[in-house]
Amino acid sequence: MTVRQWISDDTKETWIYGILGFLLFLMVWQMACVFTDFGTIFPSPGVSIRTFFMAFIEPIGRYTLLGHISISLKRVLIGYGLSSVAGIIIGLLMGYSKMAHAIIYPIFCIVRPIPGIAWIPLAILWIGIGESTIYFIIFMGGFSQMVMNTMDGAQHISPELVGVAKVLGAKENQIFRKIVLPSSVPYIFTGLQTSLSTSWMAVLAAEMITAREGAGWLILSGMQTGRIENNVIGMISIGAVGLLLAALLRETERRLCIWTVRSR
Amino acid sequence: MICGKRYWEYSSSTTTYIRMMAVSDSVIGSRLPSSQGRTLKEKTRYILISVASLVLFIVIWDLASRTGIISAKKLPVPSKLFETFLYKLTNKNPDGNTLGIHIWTSLQEALIGFFFGITIGVPLGISMAWFRKFDKLFSPLFDLIKPIPPVGWVPIMITFFGIGIMSKVSVIFIASFIPAVINSYSGIKQTRDVHTWVAQTFGASRSQVLFTVAIPSAAPMIFTGARVALNGSWVSLVAAELIASTKGLGYMIQTARLVGRIDVVFVGVLVIGVFGAILMEGLSYLERRFVKGGRR
Repeated sequence: MTVRQWISDDTKETWIYGILGFLLFLMVWQMACVFTDFGTIFPSPGVSIRTFFMAFIEPIGRYTLLGHISISLKRVLIGYGLSSVAGIIIGLLMGYSKMAHAIIYPIFCIVRPIPGIAWIPLAILWIGIGESTIYFIIFMGGFSQMVMNTMDGAQHISPELVGVAKVLGAKENQIFRKIVLPSSVPYIFTGLQTSLSTSWMAVLAAEMITAREGAGWLILSGMQTGRIENNVIGMISIGAVGLLLAALLRETERRLCIWTVRSR
Repeated sequence: MICGKRYWEYSSSTTTYIRMMAVSDSVIGSRLPSSQGRTLKEKTRYILISVASLVLFIVIWDLASRTGIISAKKLPVPSKLFETFLYKLTNKNPDGNTLGIHIWTSLQEALIGFFFGITIGVPLGISMAWFRKFDKLFSPLFDLIKPIPPVGWVPIMITFFGIGIMSKVSVIFIASFIPAVINSYSGIKQTRDVHTWVAQTFGASRSQVLFTVAIPSAAPMIFTGARVALNGSWVSLVAAELIASTKGLGYMIQTARLVGRIDVVFVGVLVIGVFGAILMEGLSYLERRFVKGGRR
C-alpha cells in the first residue's frame, strides 16, 4: 500500500486531523501567551498573523517583506547557480578522469568538510562587506556537496555500458556525452537538492552577519529591536520560499529524468 | 540515497543483456585486476600524483604569500598557520580562551543537541509512520516547520535562552530533530510489504512486526538521517556561535576577524573542518558496527 493510495482512501480524515493538529498548535501557542511569561517576549498568533499581512504593505527597515524576500532569493539564485555549475564541472572531471581525480581530490579534501558558514569571517577579510561576499559564502555552502554527488554519479557508470560503446566504436567524447552525462544526472539532482537547502541556510547566516537587508537581516533585526514578530514572519516566509524552490526542483527532475525510478 | 536502477536493468530482453555482458567482459578485461602488478603500479602512480599536487599547492600558497603577490594580511604563510595553531593551544589571546576550550565547548554543544534531537526525533518519526492518527495529527504541523533552515531559529533561541549554551543546544536540537524525523518516517514507510506479510503469516503481532521487521529494515535510512542531522548540527552550531556567544570555535573566528588576526581565522576554519570530518567518521563507524546489510 503506497502512501498516495492511502491518502486518497481517506482524504477526509486527513483533512480533519490536519486541521485539528493545527488548531491544537495555535491554541497551545495562544494559551502560552496568555497564561505564562512566554507572552511577554513572544507575540501571540493573532499579532503574528496581523504583522505578516501588514509587512506586505509597510516596509520593515528599508523594504517591505516582499522586498526582503526577493533580495535573498536573488542572492541565493546567483550563488547557488554559480556553485552548481562549478560543482558539476569539477565533479564530472574528477569522476570521469582518474588523473583529474588524483590532482584535484587531495586539495578538495581540505575544503570539503568546512561548512559554508565558517567561511564568513574569512570572506569578510578577503572581500570586505558587500554583495560579492554573500555570493561567495553561498557558493561555498553548496559547492562541496555538488562536487561530491556529481563525482559519485560519474564514478558509478556501469563498465558494461562503456565496454559496449567501445566495442561499437564510440569515441571518448561520445562516451562522455551519451553514457557518463546521462547516468550522472540523477546524482546531480540529488546534489542540487541538498545544496539548495544549504545555500538557503548560508544566505540566512550571511545576511545575519554582514547585510542590511534580506530575510536573514529581517530575522536578526527582529531580535535586536525586540520585535520578535518580525522574526517570526521572517522565518515563515523563508520556510515558504524554501519549500517552493525545493518543489520546483523536484518537478524539474521528474520531467528531466523519467528513466530513474526513485525509491522515495 | 538510492538512485534507482541503471536503465539496462529495465531492458526487457535478458539475452541482449547477457550478450552485452559477454562483449564488454572481453573489452574491459584488460582493465580488470587480472594483472595485479599493473594495477598496483598504476595505483602508486596516482598516489604519487596526488602527493605532488598537494605539495605543489602548498608551495604555490607559500610563494604567493612570501613574495607578496597576495598580501600576508590576506593569506598567511602555511608555516605561520602551524605556529599559530601551537600558540593558540596554550595562549588565550585574542579571544580569552585557549583553542582546547573552544573545541570542547563546540563539541559539547553539538553533541548534546544532536543526542536529544536523535533520541526524540527517531521515536517520533517511527510512531508517525506506524500510527495513522498520529501521522495525520502531526504531519501538517511538521511540514510547516520542516522547511525553515535551523539557522533561522538562532535569533529566537537567543531571545529565549540568552547567549549561553542553552540557545545553541536548542538550535542544534532543531537542526538534528527534523532530519531524524523525516528519515525514520520514510524508512519505516519503505518497509517491504512482502516482509511484513511473511511476519504476519507466521503469526507475529503488530508490535513484533514493528520491532523485528520494520525498524531493522529502516535502520540504514535512520542512520542516513543521523548523518544529515550531524552535518546540519555542525553547520548551525558555527552559525549560532558566529552570531552571538562567548566561546566556541565560531566565536573564536569571529573575534579573530574583528581584531584582524587572519592566521587565527584560518586555524579556526581548518579546525572546524577537521572536527566536522572526525564527527562524521565516528558516525560512519557506528553505522558499520550496528547496521546489518547497509547501504550500497
